[in-house]
Amino acid sequence: MVVGEVAVETDVVVIGGGPGGYAAAIRLGQLGKSVVLIEKEVLGGVCLNRGCIPSKALIHTAGEYHKLNRLNKLGIQLPTGKATFHMPSWQTWKSSVVAQLNKGIDYLCQANGVTVVKGTATFLSSDRIGVETGGDFETYKCKQAIIATGSRPFIPSFLKTDGEYILDSTDMLALDDVPETLAIIGGGYIGMELGMAFAKLGSQVTIIEASERILPQTAAHLSQEVLKQAKQLGMTVKIATKVEKAEVANGRVTLVCTSEKNGSESITAHKTLVTIGRVPNTGELGLAQAGVEMDERGYIPVTSTGSTNKAHIYAIGDVTPGPALAHRAAKQGIVAAEVIAGLPSSVDSPFVPYVIFTEPQIAGVGMTRDEAELQGYKVKAATFPYRANGRALAIDEGEGFAEVIVDQESHLLLGMHIVGADASNLIGEGVLALELAARVEDVALTMHPHPTLSEVWLEAAEAVLGHAIHIVNKSK
Amino acid sequence: MVEFKLPDVGEGMHEGEIVKVLVRTGESVQQDQPLLEVQTDKVNAELSAPVTGIIRDIFIAEGEIVEVGTTLLVIDAGTEVEVKTETKHPEKVVNPDKTVHFTPARADHRRSLATPYVRQLAREMKLDIELVTGTGAAGRVTEEDLRQFANRLQKSAPAKFPTSATGNERLLEASTAAIETEPIVQSKTGTATRAATSSQGGIERLPLKGIRKKIAEHMVKSVTIIPHVTSVDELEMDQLRALRETLRPHAEKRNIKLTFLPFFIKALVIALKEFPTLNASIDERTNEILLKRFYHIGIATDTPEGLIVPVIKDADHKSIFQLAEEIDQLARLAREGKLTMEHITGGTFTISNVGPIGGLQATPIINHPEVAIISLHKMEKRWVVREDEGVIRWMMNLSLSFDHRLIDGVTAVRFTNRIKELLEDPNLLFAEMV
Repeated sequence: MVVGEVAVETDVVVIGGGPGGYAAAIRLGQLGKSVVLIEKEVLGGVCLNRGCIPSKALIHTAGEYHKLNRLNKLGIQLPTGKATFHMPSWQTWKSSVVAQLNKGIDYLCQANGVTVVKGTATFLSSDRIGVETGGDFETYKCKQAIIATGSRPFIPSFLKTDGEYILDSTDMLALDDVPETLAIIGGGYIGMELGMAFAKLGSQVTIIEASERILPQTAAHLSQEVLKQAKQLGMTVKIATKVEKAEVANGRVTLVCTSEKNGSESITAHKTLVTIGRVPNTGELGLAQAGVEMDERGYIPVTSTGSTNKAHIYAIGDVTPGPALAHRAAKQGIVAAEVIAGLPSSVDSPFVPYVIFTEPQIAGVGMTRDEAELQGYKVKAATFPYRANGRALAIDEGEGFAEVIVDQESHLLLGMHIVGADASNLIGEGVLALELAARVEDVALTMHPHPTLSEVWLEAAEAVLGHAIHIVNKSK
Repeated sequence: MVEFKLPDVGEGMHEGEIVKVLVRTGESVQQDQPLLEVQTDKVNAELSAPVTGIIRDIFIAEGEIVEVGTTLLVIDAGTEVEVKTETKHPEKVVNPDKTVHFTPARADHRRSLATPYVRQLAREMKLDIELVTGTGAAGRVTEEDLRQFANRLQKSAPAKFPTSATGNERLLEASTAAIETEPIVQSKTGTATRAATSSQGGIERLPLKGIRKKIAEHMVKSVTIIPHVTSVDELEMDQLRALRETLRPHAEKRNIKLTFLPFFIKALVIALKEFPTLNASIDERTNEILLKRFYHIGIATDTPEGLIVPVIKDADHKSIFQLAEEIDQLARLAREGKLTMEHITGGTFTISNVGPIGGLQATPIINHPEVAIISLHKMEKRWVVREDEGVIRWMMNLSLSFDHRLIDGVTAVRFTNRIKELLEDPNLLFAEMV
């Protein structure tokens, strides 16, 4: 800061241009506020540049590539010779997708009067924010601020990433080659998604998970379907196993692991991916100068409107306690913007859907059976298998099931979970049903189009009521 | 988490008005620490924390009328949470696989059922949807439920409506209509909520709530059920005045403020024993007359909040001085708003003493389910004829309203005659004492 500096005055400063930050900035622009959006890298954040979009592009590519092996069964004869995958070409394509989306966000910001500043922001006080813009230092004075700086992968010191052998998810998605062997530390959703994608592309993948099972955040019977597929893809899954040490030598990484079952063992791979957690980006923001409080884990507690302990400073997305999901960040961002503009908005729904792009996909909303029982509900639940759905068989996707969880007394829907093809899209029906406080009859009595995968909801709902058509109903 | 609900602090009360909220969200409270002041059926009550903890949510605002059983606030009875200001960058790992719940458990599974649109509408209308009773399928809160809830609130909330100084109805209607089109919040749902106040004003609309509302309801009930008849008589007070003057120094020695009321109560109780139908009630459900062999006399008392009737229990067992002492205590408690349900219930007959203020006669409304009420009026010197001569006497009118279902006019007049006899010659009071 220099003496006599002139601060640029604006209504709102949004720090961070990820899916939460840019949504907030655009909404503020729509509502007539003057907004400065500060982003130190590129608009779109982790989601667009290093997370959701690139990883789903890779997962899609891997899925298409993998399908080639199954086309024979469908009567499609490929020309002789084996299909190959050229990762540099994929990188080019991925970059074009990301660039197109970046451009779109940039355009939308401009169209809504959002001033985008590239630089690193720090709070100087509760209403002044300094931005280092590559040599220059600018100061912004604002009436309100939104912190949307997101999170980054957590890498423990003994697994220091080097960008070449020990990688984080960002490094992994920037590779130009498919590693011959790949060890993944962490069997959560990122580890399993990327692990399965690389397995489909030809890597020998070993998953090392410290918990008793992969995808420990989902219900066990859902993750079981993924485990089955992982084995069919030739992946090695080590559960209840901890990595103690990592050594790079001769172009390989050797991980020393321990487990009760196998004792100490070594796993050697060409590359190691570390996906064991994320930490919020709150450390370098100067929150103390702004008087914004954090919890002991570095997250910023917020109200349902996104407000921090400083009423005029808001925080959204991964820097707030809760699941690190782009759709949650976007919702929080829009709500914070609207509250700043005087609208009575609130993030008041407990229904945050989740989507995991494994093989098969898992998605869900609301409570699992165990959670509902823990909450004191008497639960009624039923599943309907994909293999009993005509469309699923017609597209050769017979693995998985849909599950509907209901309060036995009122028949209100408590949770809807699905594992199988296109689960990520199918969960939309579940989110809407729960938000509308639907009863299981509402789903069962709704005509679903045939032949579609969406019929799995219809039949699962009917199964709860004891009268599904395409399976034998269990006695009531 | 402990949900603190509005308890039934009275005898079968249905609702109460939140007079004061003494705590704020995030505040630590000790068990038994006062949280709220609630005004119910003629009683102000202080509600205390059932547990030690932190106030997590407050669902009500001052002035709001809430039903018994409504959750007023939530107390986190767990350990106190300390929010520390950042001192250094925390690098603690958070493994999403362990800590992130993709399906956040519904911490409040009693969350009211409503669509996102209705929730948004509730926010725009500044209503707490959790307080609205849903009439939709499975108890869903509908748009209509919100509107009806808002209407009920509006009726009980203060609102100033502008009008001209003449206050004629046409102007009032026109200005009210103008207000109804004035939005107060920007709307996401396109449904603007309406302004409750305006900057111009001439007529002030006050809510009919709290004690006043209860009085209103009670009065309507009384006159609706009871066929009232009022008879008026006049009493000569000279002897009673003389007696009071004689006794006053004795009372003062004992720090007792001796008014006329204890004498009236004494005379009343004697008369009630002789005319049992006046110390009775009618059970409308069973068509039975309940003759009460106890004498709990209500004294209508003027307070800043309105008319309250504390009750002197077993008045027939108390001396003039004891009655005087108790009247003084109850009047003080009433004025300070400290009466409890115990103080104001169980009366068998009511005396309304408007004498100190003035007025010649009235048609007092019976305190249902009692069957009669006496109103005492201004004491003044009047010309009266005694033994064919005009003389000046201290006179006072007495109005008796009685329930004509149970009491005939003749009985009523005989009853007042007896009171008159006892008060005009107070020696008789002593003769009748038990």
